[in-house]
Amino acid sequence: MTQAIDVEDRRVRVACDVGGTFTDICVLSEATGLMHVAKVPTTPDPIDGVLAGIDAGGVNLNDLLLFKHGTTLATNALITRRFPPAVMVTTKGFRDTIEIRRGNRDDLWDTYKEMAKPYIRRRDRLVVTERTDYSGAIVAPLDETEAAELARVIKKRGVKTIAVCFANSFINPANEQRMRDILAEAIPDATISISSDIMPEIFEHERFSTTVANAVLAPVVGQYASRLESRMKAGGYKEDVLLLHSGGGVMTAKMAERYAARLSASGIAAGAIASRFVAEQAGFKNSIGLDMGGTSTDVSLCDNGEINVTKEWFVEYGYPICFPSIEVLTIGAGGGSLAWMDAANSLRNGPQSAGSTPGPACYGRGGENPTNCDANVVLGRLSDQLAGGKVSLEKGLATEAIRKGVAEPLGMSVEDAALAILKVANANMADAVRLLSIRRGYDPRDFALVAFGGAGPLHGAALAKDLAIPVVLVPPNPGVTSALGCLLVDIQHDISRMYLAKAEEVNVSDLETTFRELEIEGRERLVTEGVTPENMVFQRKIDMRYHGQWRALSINIASPVVSLDESIAYFHEEHGREHNYSRPGAPVEIYRVSVIATGVTSKAKFADFDPVDAEATPVGTRRVRFDELPETIDAPVYDRAALQSGMKVAGPAVIDQLDSTVIVPPGVTAEVDRSLTLVMRIPLA
Amino acid sequence: MSANMDHGLDPVTFEVLKNAYVNIVDQMAEQIFRTCYSFVIWSRDFSSALCDANGDTIMQGSGDIAAHVGTLHYTAKAVINAFKGDIHPGDVFVVNDVYQGGTHFNDTRIVRPMFYQGELLGFAQANGHWADVGGATPGSFNVNAIDHMAEGLRITPVRVWSKGQCLHDVCNLIASNTRAPADIIGDMEAQAEATKVAEQEVCRLIEKYGLDVIKTSFGAVQDYVETLTRQRVSALPDGVWETEDYIDLDPGVGEGLIPIRVRMTIKDDTVHYDLSKSHPTSIRCFLNACFGGSFAAIVAGTKMQFPEIPLNSGFYRVVTVDLGPAGSVVNAAWPTPVAGFCSGPFEKIMNSIFELWAEVMPERAMACTFNLDYLLIGGQDKRDASGGHKYFMWYDWMVGGWGARNGRDGWAATGPVFGVQLGTQPFEGQERLAPVLTTCHELRVDSGGPGESRGGMGVDKGVILTKVDRTVVSYCCDRERSITWGLWGGLPSIPHGVWVNEGLENERYLGSMFSNESLSPGDVVSRPSAGGGGLGDPLERDPQLVCEDVADGYVSIERAAIDYGVVVKEVDADLADYVVDRESTLAKRAYIRANRGKWLDEDAGAIAAKYRAGELGTLDLIRQYGVIVNWGSGELLEKTTQQFRAMLKRRTSPYWSQRMQPGQDATVSLKVA
Repeated sequence: MTQAIDVEDRRVRVACDVGGTFTDICVLSEATGLMHVAKVPTTPDPIDGVLAGIDAGGVNLNDLLLFKHGTTLATNALITRRFPPAVMVTTKGFRDTIEIRRGNRDDLWDTYKEMAKPYIRRRDRLVVTERTDYSGAIVAPLDETEAAELARVIKKRGVKTIAVCFANSFINPANEQRMRDILAEAIPDATISISSDIMPEIFEHERFSTTVANAVLAPVVGQYASRLESRMKAGGYKEDVLLLHSGGGVMTAKMAERYAARLSASGIAAGAIASRFVAEQAGFKNSIGLDMGGTSTDVSLCDNGEINVTKEWFVEYGYPICFPSIEVLTIGAGGGSLAWMDAANSLRNGPQSAGSTPGPACYGRGGENPTNCDANVVLGRLSDQLAGGKVSLEKGLATEAIRKGVAEPLGMSVEDAALAILKVANANMADAVRLLSIRRGYDPRDFALVAFGGAGPLHGAALAKDLAIPVVLVPPNPGVTSALGCLLVDIQHDISRMYLAKAEEVNVSDLETTFRELEIEGRERLVTEGVTPENMVFQRKIDMRYHGQWRALSINIASPVVSLDESIAYFHEEHGREHNYSRPGAPVEIYRVSVIATGVTSKAKFADFDPVDAEATPVGTRRVRFDELPETIDAPVYDRAALQSGMKVAGPAVIDQLDSTVIVPPGVTAEVDRSLTLVMRIPLA
Repeated sequence: MSANMDHGLDPVTFEVLKNAYVNIVDQMAEQIFRTCYSFVIWSRDFSSALCDANGDTIMQGSGDIAAHVGTLHYTAKAVINAFKGDIHPGDVFVVNDVYQGGTHFNDTRIVRPMFYQGELLGFAQANGHWADVGGATPGSFNVNAIDHMAEGLRITPVRVWSKGQCLHDVCNLIASNTRAPADIIGDMEAQAEATKVAEQEVCRLIEKYGLDVIKTSFGAVQDYVETLTRQRVSALPDGVWETEDYIDLDPGVGEGLIPIRVRMTIKDDTVHYDLSKSHPTSIRCFLNACFGGSFAAIVAGTKMQFPEIPLNSGFYRVVTVDLGPAGSVVNAAWPTPVAGFCSGPFEKIMNSIFELWAEVMPERAMACTFNLDYLLIGGQDKRDASGGHKYFMWYDWMVGGWGARNGRDGWAATGPVFGVQLGTQPFEGQERLAPVLTTCHELRVDSGGPGESRGGMGVDKGVILTKVDRTVVSYCCDRERSITWGLWGGLPSIPHGVWVNEGLENERYLGSMFSNESLSPGDVVSRPSAGGGGLGDPLERDPQLVCEDVADGYVSIERAAIDYGVVVKEVDADLADYVVDRESTLAKRAYIRANRGKWLDEDAGAIAAKYRAGELGTLDLIRQYGVIVNWGSGELLEKTTQQFRAMLKRRTSPYWSQRMQPGQDATVSLKVA
């Protein structure tokens, strides 16, 4: 049903996703539930772009109910090393923990490929005498004379952000806290990140690395958040600015400064959340997100409403940021990925990309090497007029590039070469999806594939066929879906603590006390953010493994803890699902406990469209080659904007829209659902 | 005409399957990583492969250990030889036999035949370094072994699952002969389940593409790698190159470096290595390699020159080796112990290969890299007040410096050439598991070999034993004497070697290879890993870069002057602010240039005496005088010194230019940003 529209109610919620090239804005009307989007170029000061985008979306800041924001600011600051100088204070003997790392490399064979440098230079890493042992006993108290001397040096250097990282502080933070107090007294305006607060978990490099990332980002994120907030408020916005963090929740600007490194995957998380939302709106609790852009594709998985989360995450290899982060697998396969022949005359695809300059050959900007985009143009799947005619592609150049680059070396026609290019690209993406799904014991037949990003809907149906995924969903605005991801999420904090104990020896009341302590910490953070008690929700998790194993699985556990039996049974089950086997007789141990503290934000209502009783009408035809048909045909072309709820488009067909193109293969019917998402049912062989 | 045009597969199917095989092997690796028990495996000392029905390798993964590369086809073939005609669906075999292509006994391979509708298609193999496989010494690294019986359990191909049923009696026999039986059972299961993943995935591909296509593709991907490699090699000039590197000594003979000689011939589209002129007899400790270990070094070293080529048996058709007669240090025969193959011949062969290829592709040159080490402390853990007899294993290996490169410094603190994914263990984890407290784990100042490009930084690690009893330490390393060398005028780094209570009461120097030395509570055990060798004349290094290194503490002010002739002055240590004294630097460099040649001929006995008197330090002896002594006692090692100086006169001094340093302007000032 459609709601009655109160024309006086101009209140909106806005979500904004700042990417490298574009700033996307999603505007949701509080009264109608109707959503519209805007896209503006990202500006040198991203806040200018955010405000320009809000303006382009026709929003007056006085009407803004709630503003949520995803940004690649933190990611970019880490990659470019553009952050104010920071100092690390660490236990004597361990000055180089973040430079030694684990000592390994992601590239095994190339002696001329460099590793990224640590975020803090060696000359800015200072040591102090202190030591805590594995049990938490203080072997050497903090040497206060040395500590005071360090404070003097840091003050003299004029550094305002400091990481304090001591050995075994996760089990006893006393020395770290004392060091923090000494520094805070000497340098009152410094931001101090201590590892026992930022990431109280075992393993020095991972904890220090996370803390150091937090320290270098604190001034960047802190200043950005407060500038954004003050400019928004100057314009009339009255509520908190909420920033999307890597774990798939938001936090206030105030918290963002303290836990700045939580924003390191903010940009990537948004797409995964949007994908879940699109799927749930269409009635699917299990979904795989395929966000295919120009240079890369992000794959995410949502199982029964929960998006996979990982604690093994990094911006640059070797420098882990262990805050829980939405798990996204990024592969070098996008519209601009190059198709090339290797020295053995074998056809390859990516990971190199033509980028935006020169771009695919069909852009006519000097690119001579064929890309996936060129193959799509040659096959007619992509029109030579994009964005409603604002962008023209040159099919002749695409044809030439494929002829020279692939068709002639392989002795095949240009069209066959284009088909081959896309098949290889699709297979590479399918391998990535397989790693996240089948590999983990998830059956793709139970999932819906959400295809978005500019290029996702071109490839979605083919990929689904390959993976035996029965449903493909294409949201109304595939090119700006990430911004949508920010709209619906809640305030969320993940709080964890090491809890190493054999399951059969666990004292249940002690475990319950530990969970309560974590919940108190979570409650305090939510209170700071202005969340009222009735909007607080706490989810407990317990990480378990077989005694002797190194890696653990995270299991939900009910509150209060009465017994571990259920969790242990569930652990065996999860081990079986994820690793193909379980060892029911083997002893189990607890590794870590955590609490997800959620501050529920008021929920928006999205418009719901009653199906119309009308046929979809093509706006024209185009010569298109489909995988399933032996030759090129005149395929009907539909305009997405004209497709209404309940309309059906039978393949073979093409649906053009401003920010994307949808391929509907032969034998597949695309139906517009009540939220205007296209639902394609893929017949499985 | 390319190989893959002949196999009849369409190019898309071929590319898809090639990638799928890498993906399958990586899936095996991921599964092992997530489910293993041994901390050595958890630190990524493992590798996997798919092999065809002949045992030839179809594909390795993207994350496998270099030292295992090139041996997995041997162990697949060993299983075929042992069980031909008696291999069934659901069978799983285990093998670690070094005399049948294995590396050392710890590297235990689980081999599962892959079947489709009753037809044997090939083998999935998962190889992991078990922390202990029994023998006389904790960790199964026994320097004093005179034969393999003293090293650990030799597992010739044995069936451990039969038609899907676990043979518990056999598994228990194997596990019971180790120091951590429960972990071994856990690892065996983890590895076996990983190979099952591979079999399922291959069957899925067959369902999709058909049996014939898959079988054809197994050969086609090997042909593809062969073609790719031949293409690359044929573009290189033909020629013969030769070098030698050294193991420190044969303890049965006394001091004197033991040569490993590598002669490389590139002819047309093939690369051939001749190692037959290496030291002809196996040495009397475990630093020998059987053919598997030596071949792995050849494959890994060559593969690093072609990082983009995937690895399978196709590569071995282009890259061949003559190891010479059996019984040598690089082609050890039964029952010679070889547990230390990697610290011994493997690393020498790989570094030699780097040196040879530096002549062929100077733009990818690299000096010598630090030597893999393995320190094993084992005994009783007395931390539990209830007085249980808990056994602890504190086994530790270092990351260290890689060789300096053409125009680039070497990598600091990186895994060994044995396999760069072999990461250090977190000491916070080690401290929970063993009564051993880490006192230090940080970069060692001046450990990078000086050169126009500096070698990567080595690392110091020290520990103190707390509540221990009946505890011993063993160590497996090398290059205490055959020190990590520089190239093209670059200088060596620092010696490997273990100290107990260095600079304290009861100081003991134990050297780079020993077994079962007793330790007591309160003992401090420390050792460095070497840095990488330098590349190019250190007097040609930009003084500003030396000054930066001083500000970061990579190079001391003292060694900046001695090794680089760069005089650095402190402006304000609080601000890490240092400057180059330009005039003094010019003078210092001129002085070194005029004299350094003759330092290499100074009377070695007199130099050793100055070392004992404390007038010269370890680095002076190595870098300025080319003199090698027993680093504990200061006793001159005469023969070793002769050999070491000859090495420097081959790799280093001929490249020292005589020209004056062009004038540098403005002094350099470094400030905290």
